[in-house]
Amino acid sequence: MMRTTVKLLLVVGLLMGCGESADPSFPNVTCDDFAHANCVLITSGDAAGLLDAVNALEDDTAVILGTGTFELDNQVTIRANQITITGQGMDDTTLSFGTATAQINGIDAVSNGFLVQDLTVLDAVKDGIRVENSDGVTYRRIRATWTNEGDSTNGAYGIYPVRSQNVLVEDSIAERSSDAGLYVGQCRNVIVRNNLVTGNVAGLEIENTQYADVYGNTAENNTAGIVVFDLPGNPIVGRDVRLRDNMIINNNHANFAPGGTVAIIPAGTGTFALASRRVEITGNTYMNNQTGDIAILSGLVVDSNPAMWELVEAELVGDNAGLDLPAGATAGTITNFRTENVLIQNNTHSGSGLAPDQTRDFGVLIAAVFGFDPVSSILYDGYGETIDVEASTTTNENRVCAGGNTAANGLAVLDVETQLVSLGSPILVISDAPFAPFDCDDLAGDRVAEVVIP
Amino acid sequence: MKRAAACLVLLLAGCTEEVAPMSIADGPPVVATTGRPPDQLSHLRLLDWDAAAGEIHYNARVVPYDLNTPLFSDYALKARAIYVPDGQTISYDPDHPFAFPVGSAIVKTFYFPADFRQPDQDLTLIETRILIRTEDGWSAWPYVWNEAQTDATLQVGGESRAISFVDADGAAQTANYLIPQRNQCRSCHERNLGAGGTATISPIGPAARHLNRDLDYGAGPVNQLAHFAELGMLTGVPDAASVPRAYAFAEVEARGVSAIAPEDLDFAARSYLDINCAHCHDPLGTQGVTSQLFLSHDNMEPFNLGVCKRPGSAGSGTGGLTWDLVPGQPDQSILVFRVETTEPGAIMPLLGRSLQHRHGAELIRAWVAAMDPVDCAMMEP
Repeated sequence: MMRTTVKLLLVVGLLMGCGESADPSFPNVTCDDFAHANCVLITSGDAAGLLDAVNALEDDTAVILGTGTFELDNQVTIRANQITITGQGMDDTTLSFGTATAQINGIDAVSNGFLVQDLTVLDAVKDGIRVENSDGVTYRRIRATWTNEGDSTNGAYGIYPVRSQNVLVEDSIAERSSDAGLYVGQCRNVIVRNNLVTGNVAGLEIENTQYADVYGNTAENNTAGIVVFDLPGNPIVGRDVRLRDNMIINNNHANFAPGGTVAIIPAGTGTFALASRRVEITGNTYMNNQTGDIAILSGLVVDSNPAMWELVEAELVGDNAGLDLPAGATAGTITNFRTENVLIQNNTHSGSGLAPDQTRDFGVLIAAVFGFDPVSSILYDGYGETIDVEASTTTNENRVCAGGNTAANGLAVLDVETQLVSLGSPILVISDAPFAPFDCDDLAGDRVAEVVIP
Repeated sequence: MKRAAACLVLLLAGCTEEVAPMSIADGPPVVATTGRPPDQLSHLRLLDWDAAAGEIHYNARVVPYDLNTPLFSDYALKARAIYVPDGQTISYDPDHPFAFPVGSAIVKTFYFPADFRQPDQDLTLIETRILIRTEDGWSAWPYVWNEAQTDATLQVGGESRAISFVDADGAAQTANYLIPQRNQCRSCHERNLGAGGTATISPIGPAARHLNRDLDYGAGPVNQLAHFAELGMLTGVPDAASVPRAYAFAEVEARGVSAIAPEDLDFAARSYLDINCAHCHDPLGTQGVTSQLFLSHDNMEPFNLGVCKRPGSAGSGTGGLTWDLVPGQPDQSILVFRVETTEPGAIMPLLGRSLQHRHGAELIRAWVAAMDPVDCAMMEP
C-alpha cells in the first residue's frame, strides 16, 4: 500500500509551451487555456500524484487532468483560492471513488474563485462535488453520477454548493444520487442553468437559499423534479427563487432514498415550494409527472410543530429586508414554515397527475381526494387560509397566485393539515383560470429579479 | 522566455533525496515558521523513535501530554507532545485552546501494537502529524513512517492503509486506516473565527479542560498543567480547583460503561461528543454547521443537541430514522446510529473512524437511553 514514487508532470509558472508538446493525455484542455499564475498537469492513473498536487496548491493554480480514469480511495480536497480543476471533458476524464471506504466526497473544496469543469465524478461515497463556504463558484460541463441506477447506497448529493455565494452551475449532469442530484444549500446569489438532472430521488433542490435563478434545466425521471424549500432551524431564510423555462418531465422514478426528508416524497412529483417565499414558477414545461406538477406547501407538512420553525431574529443570516416574516410564539423569534408570495404563470402542463404514488402518505391523500379524476396541476395546501368550497369566501393570505398557464388542469386548495387526519374537510377546486382569489393581484413587493453574478 | 522554458518534469519522489536521518542528539528542535517543513520528520529533531525499546524519546522542551477524553481513531494509540521554543510561553485560557508562540509545534504520533492485550509491545508507528505555529497561524503537516521505522516522510496526499491488530478481547481486527491529506487536517482543525467567518486552523486538544489531568513524567503523577507551568512553558494557570475538566475516559476504555458512576453519565457522554464531534458540530465549526447539530460541551440548547430535531443535510446518513436524538430511545436516534454504524455513507465522524468504538458507542447509547423519554411524534401536533 505504501507509495514510493510519484509521477507528476508539473508545470510551474507561465510555462506556456506545454500545449505544443501535444501530449496525448491532454488533447482538449491544457495550461494554455487558463490565465492562472500556476498550472499543474496530471496524467490519468496517477491518483497519488493528484492527491499530492492538490494538497500542495498555491493560490491561483489550474489543475489539469488527463484523459482516462483516476481511481481514488480518498477525496480530492482543495483548500486554496482561485483554483481551477478541469478534465479533458466529462466523457474523457473520470474521478472514480468506487474503492473508497471512508465517508468522503469526490471533490471537496473550500475555495474562493473556484472553477470545476469538463470531468465526471463517479461513485463518491458521500457527495460528488461539494464546495462549501466559498465566494465565486462555477461548475461547468461536469457530471456527477453513480454506477448503479436506483441504488439507495449511492451518495447523497451529486453537485453540492453549500453555504457559498455567487454560484454558477451550468451545462452539467447530475444523476442517480440517493437524495438530491443538484443541491444548492444555504447559498446566496445563484444561477443554475441548462443542466440535466435524472435518475435522482430529488432532481434539483434549492434549500434555504436567497436569490436563485434556475432556468433552462431538464429534470427527467427523478422521484421529484425541481423543488424549493427551507429546512427548519436554519438561520438563512430562503427567498427570491425563480424557476423558469425548465423541462420537468416524467419524474416518476420510484423513491429510493434511504431516509431523510426526501424519503417522504411520492414519485411523480414535478415541483414543490415548501416553507419558501418570493418564488416564481414561470414558463416551465410540465409533462407526465404522475402524482402532480406543482405543489405549494407549508413547512408544517414535513415538520408540523411550529416551534421547530422558530428562528431567533437576531441570529438570522443574509438579507431579510421586506420579507415581513411572521413572529414565532417565543419572543424575539420569527418563523419560516409558511410559503408566501408565489407566482405560477405561463407554464405548460400535459399528461400529469393520472396515477399518484400511493406508497407515500401525500400520494395517498392526493389519490383519495381526486379519485379517478386527474390531479389538479397546481396543489396548494392552504395553510393559514380560510378554505371554502366557494372561491369567493376563500382567503389568499399567503398571496399565492396562478395565471396564464397552458392546458393547466386547474388549481386545488386542500386543507392538507386536516386532510391528513381526516379526509373530507373542505377542498376548493378551481378548474379554470384566472383562479380567483388566487389570481395575480396580491403579490407583495416587486417581482423576483434576475440574478447577476459579478 | 517561453521558448527557453521547456516543460519542467519533476519526479517528485526524486526531489526527496535520501538524506541521512537526524536525531535529537544533533541539537534542539528545528521548526521553521514559514514555508514547507523538511521532508523527513527526523530533521525537525522533535523526537526519536527507539524501536528496540518501543519508546519515543523527545527533545528538550518537547513535553508529552495526554487528554482526559481522547478522539477515537480506529483504536490507534497516540503519543502527544508540545514543543515551545526556549524563552517563549503558552497563555492559559479557560475556555479555548491555548494561544501558542510562533515557532511552537504540536506533535501527535499514531501507532498500533500488534496485540492490544500487550499494548506496549510490538509497536508499529503509522504517522506523525505536526501542527506548526507559523507567523501566519497554524499549519498542519502529515508525516508517514517508513516500513523500516527509521523515519517518517512528509506525504501531503495522505494514504489509505489496511491495518490489522488483535483487539483487547483477543479478536483479530482490520481497519481501513486513513492517513489524512494535508487539506483534510482542516476538516477537524478549522474554526470560523471573526465576523467574516474566516476559517482558521486551530489545535483542539491543548485546552484546559482536556489537559487538566495527571501524567507521570518520571517522578510520579503530576497535573499536566502544573507541570507545564513549572517548566516555564505555560503562564496564567489558576488554582487547580477553578480549572475546567473534561471526563477522564480511560477507565471506560478499559472496563466499559459500567465504570461510569450514574451521576457522571451525562458528563462522560458530553465530554465524548465534545472531543469526537464538536470540531465540526459547533457554531464555529465548518463542515457541521449546515446540520445545526451542535455537540460542543457547552451547548445547552436541546434543539441543537438534536432533541426531536430533524437532520439538516444528512442524506443517506439517517439510517431511516427521523430525528437526531429521541430521548430515551437510542434505536430511534440518528446520533446513536451514526456513532455505531460502520457504513461508509453514514459513519461519523467523517474522518478517522472505520471501526466501531465499542465503549464509546455504548456510552452514547446509554446516555440517550437514560434520558427521560420524549415522544417526538407527539411533539408535532
